[in-house]
Amino acid sequence: MNITGWFEERLALERFRAKYLGKPFPVHPTFFLGEIALFCFVLLVMTGFYLTLFYEPSIENVAGEGGNVPAAYASTLLIDSHPLGTLIRRVHHWSAHLMIASLVLHVLRVFFTAAYRKPRELNWVLGLALLGGTIGASFAGYLLPYDQFSVTATAIGYGIARSAPWVGGPLADFMFAGPFPSPSTVPRFYGYHVVFAPLLLSALIGAHLLIVMKQKHTELPDARAAEPRDERVITGIPLWPAQTVLMVVLFLMVVAAATGLSAFLPVHPSAYFGPPQPVTPEVKPDWYLMWVYGALKLIPGTLSFRLFGATIGSEAIGAMLVPGLIGAAILLVPWLDRTPSSLHYAEDPLKSPLRLAIGLGGLALFLALSLAGFSGELNLSIPVLWIIVIAAPVAVGWSAYTLTRRHLTTSLPESRRTP
Amino acid sequence: MNRRNFANLSLKTGIVAAVASVVPGLATLKGRTRASAMRTVEPGDRLVFALGQNAGQPVTAGSFVQNEAVLAFPEGKAENHDNLVVVCKLNPALLEPPTVVEQGAGGVVAYSAICTHLGCTVRFSEEPMDMAPFPHLHCPCHAALFDPHKGAAVLGGPAPRSLPQLPVRLNEKGEVIVAAAFTAPVGVA
Repeated sequence: MNITGWFEERLALERFRAKYLGKPFPVHPTFFLGEIALFCFVLLVMTGFYLTLFYEPSIENVAGEGGNVPAAYASTLLIDSHPLGTLIRRVHHWSAHLMIASLVLHVLRVFFTAAYRKPRELNWVLGLALLGGTIGASFAGYLLPYDQFSVTATAIGYGIARSAPWVGGPLADFMFAGPFPSPSTVPRFYGYHVVFAPLLLSALIGAHLLIVMKQKHTELPDARAAEPRDERVITGIPLWPAQTVLMVVLFLMVVAAATGLSAFLPVHPSAYFGPPQPVTPEVKPDWYLMWVYGALKLIPGTLSFRLFGATIGSEAIGAMLVPGLIGAAILLVPWLDRTPSSLHYAEDPLKSPLRLAIGLGGLALFLALSLAGFSGELNLSIPVLWIIVIAAPVAVGWSAYTLTRRHLTTSLPESRRTP
Repeated sequence: MNRRNFANLSLKTGIVAAVASVVPGLATLKGRTRASAMRTVEPGDRLVFALGQNAGQPVTAGSFVQNEAVLAFPEGKAENHDNLVVVCKLNPALLEPPTVVEQGAGGVVAYSAICTHLGCTVRFSEEPMDMAPFPHLHCPCHAALFDPHKGAAVLGGPAPRSLPQLPVRLNEKGEVIVAAAFTAPVGVA
């Protein structure tokens, strides 16, 4: 008897192979984006293991370069002192950015192909929870090197939490374990970043993928044009061996990209930023939060209103209300889209001028808000930026709508043109 | 009451009691603050340099010239970040209400250095800017602007209120001494 036979007798492998290893995966380059995010997560966990072997989650002073420095900062410098440590820390950082970038592209793909429609509304919500959880994990991790930049960024986050109406003070002190900077904040954020967030993200990823398997991935629109077939069957390449090979290749490409970036581009140079000082450097958030930064710059300080006994000031409006409204709008997309479901097929993005216009307009809004974050460097005044933030999404959306409608009416045969 | 109803009632009471028993436990999540970090500034405290080569040394009127400023802490209370102040030496003739002007201060005024928007440390700038053609305070984070001649009133940007002033006076040695507590709560609302 051979090895495979030994396992077959104990684990019923043939049934497993028949039921699962033949499962079809529709193929399209844009269908890889979710997998790329998953592989980035795997890389983050693997590099994170290594970092936990050295990191010290405490801000008590220890003797270090240039006098007494917080222990967390000293341990980050220790990691950076060896080339392998530097490489792994950089891969950790770049994988985080690649993960968020691929998540954003994945959300856009799902949106533009209307794959959020029934029965996939739940997965849309789970996916957005994953995006939020990833950004939360990133925020907690950002504090850990405890250098000038880290402390400033986290202090701003603390200020934003404090600005929440009615519950701001207690909420901020609860999340940050005391008024920031408190000696309890770093150990708590370490717990968030290393235990809570990975567990939560793993659970959400598991649920997300199980639902995709249960509901089956959407097929490309071309599949619909084929002969009428059983609607319970989808077309794609089998999990084994074709999809597995593709996934391995994709994983290696992600590792190559992250490592390539890490080899040449330094990240968050803690030694250069130095240990925390009373002076605040000119900081900007990472790219995925630039839109909130821009919103905060645009809301004038005089704008505030009272509601049920609490003052909602410019901070709460810029960092909570505006992002909250945008987030709610994105979350509710499956219910705002009134089109009956297509159930199995990803839709051609050009088939719906309205959805395309809204998506591209929304993207323009994010870009315009991020641009507002660079008001100083670009020498643009606040009123000009307000005009851009309102005009750009409208212009982009309107042109997308008109061009797509024109494309639809001219490209379809007479009999199939919509009025 | 039959067995089913009893079992249901016990279950519901048990769940409510279990959840309620967790609530006092939430207080354990509060986090520590060092006692030294709770010490607030008081009248009579001497201001010392917060950083640089003179860190820890008293700030005196002779330390800086007109239209300059330094970051300072009350002596021995540097652990409480809310105590950070920016001490500016300005032209006394240009100071206007609501700036609190102490006798003999010679144009030395101190404001909380914690921006009232989101808590970054403000900076003093002698260079004129579009909305502030004179020495002013600005925040590097979201470009809030304050006028130190007018009680650090908000000139522009997203700050919701002016920086609290820490009234200071000079003692016989020319050192900057705190004369009264902050005129308003420090930091983010």
